[in-house]
Formats: sequence, C-alpha cells, structure tokens
Amino acid sequence: MPKKVMVIDDEPDIQMYLMAALEDGGYQTCSLEPGASVESVIDAERPDLIVLDIMMPRRSGISIYKRLRTSEAYRHIPIMLISGMSSAKDFMPEGFRALVQDDSMPLPDAFVEKPVKISSFIEAVGALLPD
Amino acid sequence: MTSQATNLDAWIRERLFAAVPVGIAIIDDAYDVVYANPAFERMFGGWKGRKCYDVYKDRDTICPKCQGGATFRDGQPRVSEEVGRARDGRVARYIKHTFPIVDDEGNIPFLVEMSTDTTDIEWLRREHQALFDQVPCNVSLIDKDLRIVRANQRILDKFGDAEGRYCYEIFKGLDEKCEECPAQRTFTDGQVHTGHSLVHSRDGRPVHFQVTTAPLSLADGQTELVMEMAVDVTKTLQLEDDLRIAHAFLEKLVSTSKDGIVAIDESGDVTVFNPAAREILAVVNGRQVSASDLAEMLPPGFLAQVRSGPGHVLLPDTTVTTLEGVPIPVRLVGVRLDDGERVLGHAVSIQDLRARKQLEKEKLDAERLAAVGQTVAGLAHGVKNLITGLEGGMYMLNTGLKKGNSQRIKQGWEMLDRNIARISVFVKDFLSFSKGRRITVAPTDPPGIATEVVELYATRAQELGIELTHEAPHPVPSAPLDREGLHECLTNLVGNAIDACQMSEGEGGTHVRVRTFEHDGAVVFEVEDDGCGMDYEVKRKVFTTFFTTKGLGGTGLGLLTTRKIVQEHGGRIELESEHGEGTTFRIVLPRDRLPALPDSVPAA
Repeated sequence: MPKKVMVIDDEPDIQMYLMAALEDGGYQTCSLEPGASVESVIDAERPDLIVLDIMMPRRSGISIYKRLRTSEAYRHIPIMLISGMSSAKDFMPEGFRALVQDDSMPLPDAFVEKPVKISSFIEAVGALLPD
Repeated sequence: MTSQATNLDAWIRERLFAAVPVGIAIIDDAYDVVYANPAFERMFGGWKGRKCYDVYKDRDTICPKCQGGATFRDGQPRVSEEVGRARDGRVARYIKHTFPIVDDEGNIPFLVEMSTDTTDIEWLRREHQALFDQVPCNVSLIDKDLRIVRANQRILDKFGDAEGRYCYEIFKGLDEKCEECPAQRTFTDGQVHTGHSLVHSRDGRPVHFQVTTAPLSLADGQTELVMEMAVDVTKTLQLEDDLRIAHAFLEKLVSTSKDGIVAIDESGDVTVFNPAAREILAVVNGRQVSASDLAEMLPPGFLAQVRSGPGHVLLPDTTVTTLEGVPIPVRLVGVRLDDGERVLGHAVSIQDLRARKQLEKEKLDAERLAAVGQTVAGLAHGVKNLITGLEGGMYMLNTGLKKGNSQRIKQGWEMLDRNIARISVFVKDFLSFSKGRRITVAPTDPPGIATEVVELYATRAQELGIELTHEAPHPVPSAPLDREGLHECLTNLVGNAIDACQMSEGEGGTHVRVRTFEHDGAVVFEVEDDGCGMDYEVKRKVFTTFFTTKGLGGTGLGLLTTRKIVQEHGGRIELESEHGEGTTFRIVLPRDRLPALPDSVPAA
C-alpha cells in the first residue's frame, strides 16, 4: 500500500509539480483545494505526510502548522515545511523559531528549500516514510 | 547855634518819632499808653485811652511777667522777646526794649517801650528749623576744625549729643579725619561736593551714605561753615545691586541662549540681537542690524502680525533668510512686549531647525535603506518561487515526454508559459520599485486623490458586488503631496482591499470604505475592508518581504511601493487586521514632516 502525501502550497504550479514528482516517486498524493479546510481533507484522505508551504493565501502555513501540532488528532502526522524564504541551514532552528514566536512549538520533521531539488525532496520524503 | 542845627533839632523833636520803623510807645505808671508813634499803631492798632496789656496782648489784667512793672520798680532797662496780638488779631512776635524815663527827683513817671516786629523773621526761622530737623537725612554744620557746630534732630536721636565733637569721630568712630573728605574740599574751594561714606550701624550692618557738603558764608568767598547732608542710600544701593544682578542675569540668558533672540523697541529699532541670532542669520559680529535688515530676514508680514498682537505669533516651521539670501528653516515665536497699556516693543525667538531637519532626513534615509535591505532579502524569495515554477514546468514537460503523457506535456507548457509571463511582470514591477522616481510635491487636495482612485475601481467593485465608498466628512486643507505617488498608494490599497473581499470566506467581503480626514496635524487616508483579514504571520510579513498571498496574482511589490512613497512623504502606514474580520490600512502624513514646497510653487 503506497504512502500518501498531502501537498499544501499556495502556488498551483508548485503544488502540481510536487504532486507529479511524488507520484513519479511512487506515492499517492492529495491537496488542499481552495475553500476546503485542512482538517476535512486530512480526515478524508488520511495522509502519512504533509508537505506545507509557509506562505499561503488567507492564512499562512505557520498557522496551519501550529493548529496541527497542537491538535491531539493530527500532531502525530509528520510535516515537511517548504519555503524560499531562507536556506535550510538558516531555517533550522533559528528561522523557524523567529517565524513561529513560540518556543513550545516542535521543529518540523523536515525542511526543504525552494527552489526544490526534486531528487533531494523525494529522498527527504522517503526518509520520513520508511517502508 | 546855627539855624541849620536849629532846624535839625526841631526835625528830631517833631519828626524823628514819626519816621522810625520801630514801634515806640510811652507808658505811664498806671500802664496807660499815653503816646505812640505811627509804626506802633501799624503794629498793634489804636492805643488811645487803652492799657498797655490790652494793646499789646489783648488782656484785661497786667501781664504775669510784666517787664515794664519791673523797670518802674528798679529803673533798669530791659530787653524781652514777646508774643502778642497784632492789629489784625493774629499772633505777633516782637522784641521789646524798655527804658525808664527818670525825672529830676529820681522818680519814674513813664517808660519808653520800643518794639521791633519779628513775626516774619520768626516764621522763616521756624520753617528752617523744621526743615533742618525733619528733612530725611542727617544735617550738620561743621566748622573748619571739622567739629560739629549744629546737628539736626535726626543726628541727635541717632548719635546723642554731637555738638563740639569731630564729625569723623561721631559718625565713623575714627581718630582722624577721613581720607576722602567732601567737607574739607568745600572749605578749600567753596564749592558743593558729594561723596560716598560707609559706616557701620550699631548692630554692625553696613550703612551707605551719599554725602553732600555746601558752603555757608556770611561774606563773599569766605566759607565759615560747611553744611553736610548725608542721605542713607543703603536700600537704594541694594536695589541698584539687585537690578544690576537681574540685568546681568537676563543679559547672560539672552547672550547664551541657543535660540536666537531679537527685540525691537517701540520705534522699530533693533535693541537686542543675541549671538545665536547672529549665528543663525549669519550676521558678522559688529555688524549693526537695522529695522529694514530684520524685516528682510523674517518671513514677510511676520512683524506686522506680531505688532497687531496681543498674544504671540507662532510659526512652527518657517524660513528666515540671511542677508545673503540663504533660506534657513526655523521655528519662530513673536510676542508683543507690553507693560499694561503701554507697548514696550516686540521680541522674536528664532529656533534653528537645521539640525532637526538633518536628523529627520537621516532618519528617513535610514528607514529607506532598511526598506531597500528588506526588499533585497525578499527578492530572493520571489525569484526562488519563480525558479521553482519554471523547474516544475520543465519537470512536467520532461516527464510527460518520457512517459508519453500528453496531459502532463500540456500542463508543463502552460506552467512554463505562466511563469515566464510572471517573470516579466515581476521584473517590470521590481524595476519601477527599485528605480522609483523622486517624489515631487505640489499643493494637492487630499480628498481629491481618494475620489479619483475610488472612481477608478467603481466598475470593478460593482461587478464583484462590493460596495466601494469614499468619505471626507470634514474639509481637509491642501497639503504638499506627490499626487501621482499617493494615487499609486491608494490604488494598491484599494486593489488589495477588493482582493481581500474576494478571498473572504463566508460572511463579509462586501464593503470597501475609503476615508480622508485630518487628525492630530496629519493628513490621513484610510482604506477599510470587511474581507478575509490577515493572521499574525501575514501582518508581520506584509511590509518586510516580497510577500504575496495572492498566488500568481501578485508580485508582493504593491505594499512595498506604497510604503516607499509614504516614507518619502515623511509619513507612515498603520495596519489593523483581524483574521476573518477585515483589514484597515491607514496612510498617516504628519504635516510638519511633509516635504517643503519648491519655491516656485505658491502656497495654496
């Protein structure tokens, strides 16, 4: 049974790109369509990993991140953050702490910098989803 | 005997009695006046058939100390000072000489009484005595040995019996005469002299006297005595000292003031022009500043406005001009100086704003630099998204070709197309932002700009079912603004507000209200929407990066450009937003930070 990855990115092109790459890597995918809530999609699709862009329309990725990490029902789902804002080296953990402004918030399970190098991305996903 | 001698004898007997200016009366031993000359009658009035005491003193009985009675008894002549009653009923003073007329048997049947009227002299004497004693200074008569001959009551009261003692001894407790002695000088040259004398009172306080000495002489050129008048000037000196200190204090205050201080007297002459004023207005030391110079340096009409008083005239941000024509930014306060009704003149305080303007400019520059830094940081993020989009397109195209998946090939092409188009928009926006143009201000009607922008979006708002309004409930005076720049700012904010309404979930998203008003000395534009609002992270990022929440629809440069233009105006952008509740952007432009109008543009 292939693992399922949920991709949440405000840019439809990037979302489509990442989903295509994940499918080529043997994963199932799902995404957050405009108007739908994150929780309803998770409940319906039950993803094994969430790939989350920090910048989002209406609410930023950080809000979604905080909500999932503080929820009993969803906190076990690993989350990979992606962003072009800073390099992976700068983001973990300083950039993340500065952005979140909440020391109790756990670090994401992985961080991938944009532009995404697809082989590293698939590798990182694989590391989070061992068979 | 010659006939001449006979005539003289007859004249003496018949006429001398009537001619002498002394009142002569003959009294018998019953005190009846038996004869009197015309001078007597002029003094005491009618005398025939009256007793002497009745005539002299208006009495019914013999006087208690009757001098005549004594002479009748002992035959001795007497001189007495008398107070009687004059013809007109007033008190008369006179000196009376009483002589007995002795007959051959040695009896005294008559007395001759000669009375000299001293009433006027006595009045004069008393006036002088009163003056001498009561004048508010120490007055003494001093002889050539510097001994006090007479002293007035003031001296007697203060120093006790002074007469016969040396003046330096009694006044100063010295053993020998003072070094500076005005009395001595008056004795030498017969002129009036003045001097200053410091003595110590009994309780040890220093007492200052202003001493004047005047010569008294009975014959020309021969000063017999000196009259010395000493006035206590301790209080006056103290007041003078206080006044001098107060004056010095003010002088110091004015001369060391950081602000320029200029005073003009009633006739318009410049009486004060302190060093700071010279510094600010570049007037070299020693150069006199005339009324017309001053009028040239101050803003036109300012002095006239101050003169029309009362109260002060404040120009918080104006310009004075040096005589060389260099404009200096200053804060001016003018005030009319008056003492009740009387106008004393006018004063102007000049605060140099060059340093403050420089600081403000540096602060603005620092803000601009910071914005540029943030812009560059944000640029990387924007470019990374574009690259990812391009890479995505390439990936879709390559994998589509490899798999023979025409759907994926199509998606790849479209993705490349979109991102390339986006790059050109991004580059165009970025160039316009980074190059920018210096703002140029002109007198502008603030509500007019807002009205134009609202009209620009009216059709689009209507199509989307959004009610877009502009309100300017109170008049907003004209301000020096870059019309085009603020038009762009409001276009960005109103455009964002309409987008936010579209992104709204559920209720709301139906109103965009623009308001223009004056608040706390600032021109304020407010754009409020009831759209999707922003959460904390979005608010934090909104001005700091190429941040967009509009996906492919935005480059993230609109708000940065808006902020840049607002900062160029010395203003700021305020943001209030609650996630889901809508957003209010406020452009606040404090008038005192707005750029100055170029000289060629007349103030509106």
